[in-house]
Amino acid sequence: MSTGAQIPDDEALAGEYVLGVLPLAERRRVEERMTRDSDFAALVASWQADLSNLDEAYQPETPPKGVKARIDARLFAEAARPAGGLWGSLVFWRGLALASVAAAAAFGIYTSDFGRPAGPGAPALVAELGAPGSSVGLIAALDPEEGAFTITPAAFSPDDGKSLELWLVPGDGVPVSLGLVPGDGGQLKLDKDLVKKVSDGALLAVSVEPLGGSPTGTATGPVVLSGSLSKK
Amino acid sequence: MSQDLLAGLIARTALGDRKAFSALYNETNAKLFGVALRILKDRAQAEDAIQEVYVRIWRRAGSFRVDQASAMAWLVTIARNQAIDLIRSRQPATLEYDDAPDVADAAPDPEAQALLSGEARRIDRCLGELEENKAAAVVAAYVEGLSYQELADRNAVPLNTMRTWLRRSLIKLRECLNR
Repeated sequence: MSTGAQIPDDEALAGEYVLGVLPLAERRRVEERMTRDSDFAALVASWQADLSNLDEAYQPETPPKGVKARIDARLFAEAARPAGGLWGSLVFWRGLALASVAAAAAFGIYTSDFGRPAGPGAPALVAELGAPGSSVGLIAALDPEEGAFTITPAAFSPDDGKSLELWLVPGDGVPVSLGLVPGDGGQLKLDKDLVKKVSDGALLAVSVEPLGGSPTGTATGPVVLSGSLSKK
Repeated sequence: MSQDLLAGLIARTALGDRKAFSALYNETNAKLFGVALRILKDRAQAEDAIQEVYVRIWRRAGSFRVDQASAMAWLVTIARNQAIDLIRSRQPATLEYDDAPDVADAAPDPEAQALLSGEARRIDRCLGELEENKAAAVVAAYVEGLSYQELADRNAVPLNTMRTWLRRSLIKLRECLNR
């Protein structure tokens, strides 16, 4: 994340934002700029990383009991979800997709051709799918020329009688099946229309499904892995 | 708890794992409440803020990237932003200062540089290159979430002077941090 080429004004503005000294209207303007100016978002990320060393000044203080219950009530009160659970919820998928876009913006990982569909001549895209903290993980590398994902499994196989299914979670939030993850790695061939939908920054997820894949066309099992595609 | 374990809890939270979210809350609520309290200086407001912070953490967990920030730094950023937004929302939305004071003339002071210890953390070392009251202003702004107006009042200087100071200090700091 080189900042050498940036003009000092932007460098100072990014620092002012992270310090928090700006009035509210300017904070909102800076945040809006971060979503469309990846160089500027990178300046903000650098300041965040450097100034976070000051976080140790914050002394822990125990919040009152009952706070967690109120958080849970806000988040999970609508316990009776529609059939299909979390996976069937468009809101969940949109949230996941938006969250990853917001992250890309916040941390300046947009590339200038973000969102450009992979096509002939496009560089390979790689996603490391994981659930950090567990031993689960696999790497999916898309060769746009071939129209195929090469899947490298790492220390994970589903229980007997189950399949792993790979999903693309595009910007509009509706997950699209990319096919079953080959048992011991290998290639997962996509048809041409599907390859066009896969772009830099796209979110992939893997769910556990009945043998042979989801019977409904939407994911039915738990999400065990997720990760974003990026150029490697 | 190690950063790796915290990162694992955030990742499982992103996948909708409520148990992981609860564990994450248990591990981090005191630190994040400490952040909210330090900035808002009011327990009732900090209590409101901390609820919003964890709602955001649940919703944005998928945006955490291990290679971009440590888990705790990411969480503290969310808490700081929430607390600062809250406190700024009670202050004027804009300030009557000149637009973006010139940041030229920000070359590091050679004498201050000569005093540096190679052992200190980079941020401390670079803050040490600033004049004492300017380094203090940077730290107070970050840790306590002070506004430009509050910083100007505390330092008994006009608002525009304060902004010029701080922006020049930031440029010097960045030069040092990049070295």
